[in-house]
Amino acid sequence: MSILIGKESRIVIQGITGREAAMITRHTLDYGTPVLAGVTPGKKGQDVHGVPVYDTVREAVEKHGVNTSVVVVPPAFALDAVLESIGNGINVIVVTTENIPQMDVIKMLAVARKEGVHIIGPNTVGMIDPGNRIKLGSIGGDNPERCFVPGRVGVISRSGGMTAETSWMVKRAGFGVSTSIGIGGDSLIGTNIKDLLELFEQDPDTEAVVTFSEPGTSFEEEAAEFVKNGGFTKPLISYVAGRFTESMPEGTVFGHAGAMISGDHGRPSVKMKKLQEAGAHVVDQYDDMIDVLRDVLGEKVRGA
Amino acid sequence: MGKILENHSKQLIRQNGVPAPESWTVSSAEEAYGVVSKVGKPVVLKALVPVGKRGKAGAIKFADTPEEAREMTETLLNMTVRHFPVENVLVEEKLDIAEEWYVSITLDKNRQLPVIIATTEGGVEVEELVRQRPEKVAMVHVDPFMGLMPYQAKEIWSGLGLSGKPLVQATAILGKLYEIFIKYDAYILEINPLVLTQEGKVMAAASVMGVDDTALYRQPELEGMVEVGSERFWRPLTQLEKDMIAVNDADYRGTARYTEMEGGDIGFMCGGGGGSLLSFDALVKLGGKPANYTETGGNPPEEKVYGLTRGILSKEGVKGLYVAHNITNNTQIDVMARGIVKAVKEMGIDPEQFPIVVREAGVNDAEGKRIFEEAGITYYGEEVTIEQAAAKMIERMKEVYACQS
Repeated sequence: MSILIGKESRIVIQGITGREAAMITRHTLDYGTPVLAGVTPGKKGQDVHGVPVYDTVREAVEKHGVNTSVVVVPPAFALDAVLESIGNGINVIVVTTENIPQMDVIKMLAVARKEGVHIIGPNTVGMIDPGNRIKLGSIGGDNPERCFVPGRVGVISRSGGMTAETSWMVKRAGFGVSTSIGIGGDSLIGTNIKDLLELFEQDPDTEAVVTFSEPGTSFEEEAAEFVKNGGFTKPLISYVAGRFTESMPEGTVFGHAGAMISGDHGRPSVKMKKLQEAGAHVVDQYDDMIDVLRDVLGEKVRGA
Repeated sequence: MGKILENHSKQLIRQNGVPAPESWTVSSAEEAYGVVSKVGKPVVLKALVPVGKRGKAGAIKFADTPEEAREMTETLLNMTVRHFPVENVLVEEKLDIAEEWYVSITLDKNRQLPVIIATTEGGVEVEELVRQRPEKVAMVHVDPFMGLMPYQAKEIWSGLGLSGKPLVQATAILGKLYEIFIKYDAYILEINPLVLTQEGKVMAAASVMGVDDTALYRQPELEGMVEVGSERFWRPLTQLEKDMIAVNDADYRGTARYTEMEGGDIGFMCGGGGGSLLSFDALVKLGGKPANYTETGGNPPEEKVYGLTRGILSKEGVKGLYVAHNITNNTQIDVMARGIVKAVKEMGIDPEQFPIVVREAGVNDAEGKRIFEEAGITYYGEEVTIEQAAAKMIERMKEVYACQS
């Protein structure tokens, strides 16, 4: 099993006729993920690698019963694309678009919260469920098997590239992933670490979760609070990158847009401390997660 | 994110109906003398630099006469405020202040809504006030679709104790400020202080504004007012950084971000937002001294990789090159390899004498490996972790430079 996506995902790609979207479509189909429909206004009747294109999400819902959308449209059209999906009952939306104006993001997230829709991203590489060979977004590129093998570890990453690298570390440790999610590099996103821990807690096929974090935002602090209060009881292994930024002048941004430090807020050392106090296995070196995973999951197997 | 200097932000708020003192931008002491002679009133002189807390830094001065204005402008123009040399000074009519208030509009990243913060306590830092006397601070979130209703603005000021004409004026001003915030896609609009003058007029004495640079495509009016990405820097850009921005802007495909570090001897050519952070941490932890920070990714073309690599290698004191990336989803390793190898060869670098360690895996990495190895460069793929590759880099630096010394 996995979270948010799986066999029941009926996928539409918004903006499917674009260059990048067409490439994502081809990689997704090659992986074995069914893509039922695409939407680009004015392109109804065309197809992209055999996927039928419609003018509206409404038509895609009527013809194919889609319930999951991947948004691959330019920044100026992202708000409308997301609202169109929400307005037509789609309940999982992966927003790959980078550089969407912040007020547009605020608006799409406000509507999603009200309607109970899960938005992953914006600015996300997407998510993948290797057990069911379902991938949404550019995650894994043309060779998802390289890093993503089926298993029982959940991966949450604030960096798209590190979603792959971290899943590959899980593979290197001898395990696989239930679901890997790149939550997006921005500070304004639809689904944060705490939200995903809540879902992983419910998933009987996830035994542990690994997180890759960066400076900035309060995502880790919130997740730590959630774990501390008993919201997540499985082993949590966390790495926080960017400790060198703490010795740089305040207000400097390295990495993703979300990675801004101001005062104590967002400091990697603070995040690590809070996660540790909440009971997470906070690894000092990224490579250490291999041993920790073996320890933690080995115990789990012995204990079973 | 991009900052807007106060001369521009004042102009924007004034032209959108918020009362503010008259102001002039000058770039010489003589100009200041001329302006103040004409005004014939006491003035405030403010250094135009994109940093906060200018008062504390001594970058705001008061002058009663044209002579004083000339002298103080001279002083300001010779100052560097938190790394930013002062090139222009804002001359403003000095207000007769009865009370000083504070109001700001920003985005609350946790609640994911615009938020208004206001207080009628004067001359304090609002962060301190929130901690010590939160009842003196109004904090109101705004529905992004509905906007700020006049009654909500009225309730904010009324709750802080205003009434009569000041309440009516402050309410109208806050409504306009919110409109300006939305109209220009700002991420911050702060009026500190918002003042009540002796004559009973509410005016914006000082303004801080920053706008969302991703929204500039729909803000033609802001053309020339915003330093794009200026939020990312704590000092003015170096020449090399400007050159690297040109390299990045020459082609929309992929990204190449470059930040110069003080000193350092390892050229840092890494990629992926998170991958670069991890790589930098790894080198530093092992005692390495990267000469720069960089982030590349999103499948950049060969020319961009080449330009970035040349830039990294051209910094004085660089004695080695560390190339690393997370396993890529779409960035083509063969393209990366061609760009890097081209720069290395053109600059006459011999990898035997100048340590280069590469850890690149992902799309087309078999071909990438061939290109790197053919050029005599130490290549590692996914069988080696980023941290292990960083250790090899440090080892190579020791090997090569221990022999020479």
